[in-house]
Amino acid sequence: MRNILRLSLTLAVVGLVSAALLTVVNNWTAPIIAERQLQDYLRSVREFFPGAEQTRQEELEGALFDLIYDGAGNLLGVIGKNIEYKGYGGPVKYNLAVDKEGKIVGYRIVSHSETPGIGDIITRPEYQGKFTGKGPAEIDGVDTQSGATVSTSAIKGSIKRVTAAAGAAFLGMEEERFDISAVPDGIYQGTGKGLLGDIVVEVTVSGGKIAGITVLEQSETPTFFVNAYPAIPDLIVAEQKLEVDTRTGATGSAEGIVKAVRDALEKALAGGEK
Amino acid sequence: MSNIYLQDISRGIIKENPVFRLVLGMCPTLAITALFRNGLGMGLSAAAVLICSNVVISSLRRFIPDRVRIPCYIVVIATFVTIIDMILKAFQPALYEALGVFIPLIVVNCIILGRAEAFAGKKPVLRSLFDGIGIGIGFTLSLVILSAVREIIGSGTILQETPYVAHVFGTAFEPMAVIAQPAGAFIVLGLLLALANVIFKRLNVN
Repeated sequence: MRNILRLSLTLAVVGLVSAALLTVVNNWTAPIIAERQLQDYLRSVREFFPGAEQTRQEELEGALFDLIYDGAGNLLGVIGKNIEYKGYGGPVKYNLAVDKEGKIVGYRIVSHSETPGIGDIITRPEYQGKFTGKGPAEIDGVDTQSGATVSTSAIKGSIKRVTAAAGAAFLGMEEERFDISAVPDGIYQGTGKGLLGDIVVEVTVSGGKIAGITVLEQSETPTFFVNAYPAIPDLIVAEQKLEVDTRTGATGSAEGIVKAVRDALEKALAGGEK
Repeated sequence: MSNIYLQDISRGIIKENPVFRLVLGMCPTLAITALFRNGLGMGLSAAAVLICSNVVISSLRRFIPDRVRIPCYIVVIATFVTIIDMILKAFQPALYEALGVFIPLIVVNCIILGRAEAFAGKKPVLRSLFDGIGIGIGFTLSLVILSAVREIIGSGTILQETPYVAHVFGTAFEPMAVIAQPAGAFIVLGLLLALANVIFKRLNVN
């Protein structure tokens, strides 16, 4: 009995001393850590917007955005913080800065697990610079790096989507939308580039609405393609728009399907093939 | 008298070098040695924890009953690891980010618990201090050698992520990227172990 008491007392004393020591060290380092994180954040803001003086935080689609103002209270742009998407090696988080014209100022990777020497090209300034000054419509024109196709097309997709969404929500940009109601009824075929090859779809339009989408040909990886099909066609039919969220785990294939549907509808508008 | 302390130190560096002789602590050794700075940072962090925990455990060895010694050792080690964790986060945030989960994992580093159990729990405080210094230097030195080789071959640089970064073979050099990846850690460690065995055999270290 006394033995048990001694054992537990010893453990309690060791634990208490340890807790006391940690409290002291924590009280000493916590303010330093908080101050450093704030300075790091302000430095990263000024890197994008040198005149930044004030920020206001907003939430959009589960991500936090900072609206950046100068000393006089004029809006300079917006920074999306810790935006997450699925890269090749796992989740990637990055900060994206968009100026008040809706053009990209730049982005910085916060964390990633892309392959060193291959997919981590997305962290390099040479690659990041290709996005500077581009709006959402021009991002498709940025090179997809061969050898790092998945990593680079994933970040392009994410940047395009976030730039468009942030522009519409905070900067008064009109989100460019495809006008489906103008398409005459009929069945149309279109082709879009997926991750591995062309995807051919057949789109049925009836009464100014998309009634159905069928994939006729594709050469995507089967285990990934199931994430995009039939989920993406269902989403397009349900929302009756082409600007759907393509983050599916098969983003490349999903965007290929969307491109193919757009191609079919554009041909239809041009009075094209049935 | 001072001879025994010198022996305590040199034993940790050569005869019982934790990486090249005992092959202990392989997790951090393989995981964070892609860059020289990370190897040095990890080695020094583990060495600091080891020296502190050795001294404290040795001075408490009469106070701690045998039956609860392992939980006591772990609490002592975990306390020092958490302190190191906070200090790195406050003063070396970049290194803290790079080492990531491997700082809290120093708690279960078998080198540190191993020294507590095999040495500090039985020997006087001063000898435990020198044992900690010796093993700490041995571990740091091993990580530094491994990470220097991996960074030079795998990235073509040395001291990357520090203000003193240098391109060893010039910027046009195409590095052997596999060496910077996990598989490269095994390859380089295996080659260095073979080299160490040859050297130790020549020197007649047993």
